[in-house]
Order: sequence, then structure tokens, then C-alpha cells
Amino acid sequence: MSEMVIKTNNLTKSYGNHIALDSLNLEVPKGATGLLGPNGAGKSTFLKTILGLIQATSGDGIVLGHDIRTEGEEIRTKIGYMPEYDALNPKMDAINQVRYSGEILGMHPTIAMTRAHKSLEYVGLGEQRYREIGSFSTGMKQATKLACAIIHDPELIIADEPSNGLDARAREFMLNTLEVTVNQGQRSVLMASHLMEDVERVCDRIILLHKGKLAAQGKIEDLKAIDKEIEIHVWKNANQLEQHLSAKGLSVRREGRIMRISAEMDNITHEILQSASAVGAQVRRMHEYEASLEDLFIVIMERLGYEVKSSEQLLASPVQARQADIPKDYSGVIN
Amino acid sequence: MNLGGEGFTPQINNATAPSLQPNQPIPQQIPQINTHPNPVQNQAPQQQVPAMASAAQSPELEASTPVTGKSRIESAWGSNPEDMGVAIVSGGQSTGEIFKQEYTGWSGTLNPRWMRNWAIYRHHMLGLFKKGHRPWPLLVKIYLFVTLIGCIAPIFPLLLVSLTGEGELAALFTVNRDNLYSHVLAFFPRNILYYPVAASLLVGTIISEDRTHGTSALYFSRPISRLDYTMMKYLSVASILAILCIFTLFAYYTTEIIALGRGWGWIADTLPIFIGTLVAAFLLVITYTSIGLALSSVSKGAFFPGIGLLSIILGTAIIARIVDTMFQRETLFLLSPYDSLANVGQALVGTEPTFDISWTWSLASLVVINALALYILATRVSSMEVTRE
Repeated sequence: MSEMVIKTNNLTKSYGNHIALDSLNLEVPKGATGLLGPNGAGKSTFLKTILGLIQATSGDGIVLGHDIRTEGEEIRTKIGYMPEYDALNPKMDAINQVRYSGEILGMHPTIAMTRAHKSLEYVGLGEQRYREIGSFSTGMKQATKLACAIIHDPELIIADEPSNGLDARAREFMLNTLEVTVNQGQRSVLMASHLMEDVERVCDRIILLHKGKLAAQGKIEDLKAIDKEIEIHVWKNANQLEQHLSAKGLSVRREGRIMRISAEMDNITHEILQSASAVGAQVRRMHEYEASLEDLFIVIMERLGYEVKSSEQLLASPVQARQADIPKDYSGVIN
Repeated sequence: MNLGGEGFTPQINNATAPSLQPNQPIPQQIPQINTHPNPVQNQAPQQQVPAMASAAQSPELEASTPVTGKSRIESAWGSNPEDMGVAIVSGGQSTGEIFKQEYTGWSGTLNPRWMRNWAIYRHHMLGLFKKGHRPWPLLVKIYLFVTLIGCIAPIFPLLLVSLTGEGELAALFTVNRDNLYSHVLAFFPRNILYYPVAASLLVGTIISEDRTHGTSALYFSRPISRLDYTMMKYLSVASILAILCIFTLFAYYTTEIIALGRGWGWIADTLPIFIGTLVAAFLLVITYTSIGLALSSVSKGAFFPGIGLLSIILGTAIIARIVDTMFQRETLFLLSPYDSLANVGQALVGTEPTFDISWTWSLASLVVINALALYILATRVSSMEVTRE
């Protein structure tokens, strides 16, 4: 699992004065990786750059062993891209849409048809394959897009918001399918999503972009360990305890009687109990707080100067807000 | 199989579920909640169906049977709590796994660029005849068919001439400069009704639909370059127009050779005129396609490119004619693709010219119009997004 599917070295993309990607040094190994970042972080630019659709201003990158500057066509042959928005002709039936997506990759029509059947069966649309896409639910459309992306059994699947707009059951199925693709199919997935829960469910690693720069990358478990906290449930004199702990230089997050103290020192539990004793507070419960990816995201964003209460606030915003990373008058497209 | 939440979801409603009484026998089978995400499996939930008591156990309800207060249904299904002991509950039977999600790999080789381009071209061309390819609207298919019939119509009087022999009919319908010119550039019906309308119907959604439906992502996230995409779309529309215009011209010319038994001398005489007409037809096809595709690429709907193309072809022609009639100024004919084509066509075929301006100016005008249209087309296709529009 140590083989890198994406590796960039000081990758920079600028549109005039606007820097969309700023010296990115990324390493994405095989497996599932989540791509996170607020609006204008450069996610779209990053995806287009690694697909070889736009030319980087400086730096270089390798995707599946191919140079992103010169071998965009080879990269796109090996990648399956599942776009966020509708990318299907509503007048076509699913089987022919998926077949056509295989044909334009260079598959023979007969083989493309065989693979289309298999792909649609895999994504759970075996019985619906002859239906017009226009009559599909959002979940079925997402599944069809995934079928289009995996028809040629790509080494890397880029899934842009795969669970967007899905109900609970369809979302569960989509995430399960991606998991099976990674675990059983041994394919790599780069998943851009604003739903932390979904990323945490499918991916074992994340890349967090912020204003075109790399804010964090690595295994989710490792990143969570950076901000280990001790959670205590306090009875009586909670205010005094908070002040006492803060006076000791400890970072305290408090919500009513629940306090989370960052485990910055080795004898943190001893310090907490000593403070509680000093101010006469009762500690009813004490345990290590298991941070979620959501917590991790918020902590990182807070360090970067955002005041956010949830990832939704930053990531699930209108389409217009997401276009911030490219000036309108710039196409910057090569080919 | 259902993905969109339309499938049946087994649920236990605690409010309505029967509660067990202290002395009530425990049912042999407890209903199971299937938590597997696969919607298909959930479509076949294991339902607990109380089996009807065997015939031997069921009480005979005859006329002499004493009235016990039990209804037939209670007797049969044992719904009375007293009968619970004898009620037989069907055992949970495995229904098997209908859907097993299994990733299957593929180790085939992808064909080179020409095959990908052929796929795009084929998709658009076969869509006119077969289901499963580009879904051309029925109206477009009907109009193209009617136009094709209209374009091959001169063949029928030609065949009639072959039966009746040379005469007045032959002078009217056999191949000559005027007939060849009118096959491509006649004001009515061909260059006002057939080709411009057919072109506007063809280009209406050819590129704009990829913006509307986001299918541009399908092309550009694959190894399809913008140039290949544009070329294949262009070629598709041009081919269909060429079938209407150039193929029918060939058919008309060759029918005369075959049906009237024309010899090499006749062919040598008429071939230059025929080639001139072919060039004029070729110019018409590429000009209408270029303008149409450029309009389609700047739009997200079918209406604007269609109406826009008709306006440019016929609207400029009408304005130029009005200006010429009122002010005796022919300059505006240069801005009209229709009149520029007609002027160049007249020169190529050698018919009586109807324009005072030189055909070379008209040819230059056509080159500029095509270049401008192709520039707009290239720019707009370059701006089509893979990620989000």
C-alpha cells in the first residue's frame, strides 16, 4: 500500500495574480483518500491539474506513474472520474449511457456493452439498466455515474461528492460500494466530500486544502492523535475549574459541565484532579476524548483563522461560492 | 433492484408489535431486521407468516357444530390467545442472496484515438436510425427524412425522361448548369426550407446539451481532447447535411448517366460543372455547420442556436436585399452567408450571375465568416468544464 498514486512536488497553479494552488507537496498512496477543503481551497483546480486538463504554472506531479504536464491523456485513460453534478443524458437509458462512456475511452462496442452490464449490476442498477436516466432518482443517477467511472476498471477513481443529495439508504449503498471497490477491487479512491462522516467511513487518509495550500495530509487516525483531549464531566465549581486549568496554561474547551482539556502534558490527569481538588469541583467522569474527523476539521480550520461550528458551514455552500478559485475569464485549458 | 429508497424497508413498529404475555409461549421465530445496505436484499424481507393449522387440526364447521363464539378466522388461524399453543409458525427459510456485490476487474486494452473519435461520430450518426445512441428528437428525424425525399425528388422525373425519351421534359429535368445550381442553392425550397432548417435542427443541441446535462465531463474526463470532441461533433452535423445536399447531388448526376445511358463524352462535358456544384455544396455544408456549432457552443438550450442560425442565414439575406432594393447598395450581401454562397456558387457552376459584386469578395467573406465561427466554437469548447460549470 506504499505505492503512490498521486505525488506532487511544489505544484503551483496561478491565474494571473490569483494563486489557486500554492506549492503543493502531496503524496497519495494506494487506498482511499478524502479530499477536503473550504470554498476556494483549490480542490477543483487540483482535480483538473491531476487529470492533466490544465497546465500547472510551476512544479510537477506524477499520477499513476504519468507526468501531469505531458501525459494527461494516459492519466485520463487510467482514471475513472465521477463528477459531482449531473453528467448523464436524461434521454438515454442507463445501459447505453454507460456503454457509450466506455466507447469514448476506446473500448470496442461489444466489450463496452458487456462491461456496462457488469458495472451497472455492481452499482445495484442491474434491473433498472434499460430505464431512461431522466426517470432515475438522485441515488440511481449517482450510481450510474459511478458505473460510467468504473467501466474500464480504472486504477484510481475520483469521486466528487459521491453521496451528495442521497437519502440514507442510497448513501449507505454508495459508501458501501466505494468501500468494496477499495477493499475487494483493490482500486484507489480519491473522494472529495463535504460530509466528514462519509469521508471517515470510506477513507483512511485525508488531504485538507486551504487557500491553495496543503493544510493537512495523512492518516485520519494519526491526525486525530495530534489533538488528543481529556474529557471530564464536572459537578460544582465548573467555572473556577476552567479558570484554574487555563491559568496553568492548559487549553480548555467547555460546554456546560463537560470540559475537554488538550492533553499537552504527560501527567495531565494528575493536573486536572489537582485543580479540581483546589477549587472544590467534583470530577464525575474522566476519559480520553475520541475526536471525529469533524472535530479534526474544525480544529485545523480554527488554527487557520476560521470561526466555524461545523464543516457544513464551510463546505456545503452554494455552487457560486465554490467557483471562487478560478477567475471567470480564465479557461486555462490545454489540449 | 432499487437504489433510490423506493424499495421495501422492513421495520418494527414498537407501538403496534404484539407484546408477549407472561404465560404466553415464545414464538419460534423472531422477526429479523435486515440491516444490510443492499436494497435488493431488503426487498425480500423475511416475513413471519403464521401457517394455517393443518386440516386434521382445524375444527370442522358443519351445521351441527355448536356455536362457540369463535369466528371461522379465529378457528382457522388460532388468533385466539388460547389457541396459540397449537398455532404453527413457519420457520425462517433462507431465500438466498439475490444480489451479491462483487467487483469484477477488466484487463482489456483500450483502443487508440481514432477509435474513440469513431465512437463519438458513430454515436451521433447512428442516433438517427437506432435506439441506444444519441437521442435525436423525433421531429428532427421526420424533418430530415422529408428533406431527403425532397432532395432526391428530381431523380423521379429523370427516370420518367428515361422512359419517355428526349423532349420538353428532358430539357426541364436533365442535368444542366441551372439544375445543378438549383439543387444546392435554389432559393426555394432548398436554400430557404431544406438546408437552413435542417442545419438549425441539427445544431440546436449538438454542443449545448453537453453544457445543459453536464455530459461535457463525460468526454473531457476521458482521453478525449477538445479538438477531437469539436471535430467529431462538426463532422457528424456536416455528414448529415452532406447526405442531404451532396449525396443527393451525386444520386441525381449518376442517375442520369445510368438511366439515360450517357457516355464518356457527356461526362467529360458536364463533369466540370458537376465538380463546381460539389464545391459549392461543400462550402454550403461547412458554412452552415460552422455557424450552427458556434451558436450551439455559446448556448445552453436548443432554441437559440436554431433560431440564431436561421436568422443569420435568412435574416441577413433579407436585410441585404431590402438595402439593395432601396439604396442600390450591394455591400451588405457580403455579410450574408446565403448571398455569399450564391455568388460563389454562380461563379463555380457558371450560371448567369445575379450579383454585381465580385465572387472573390464573397469567397473572402465566407472564409472570414467560417474563421470567426470556428474561433468562437474553439473558445467556447475550451471553456467547457469537467468539474463544475
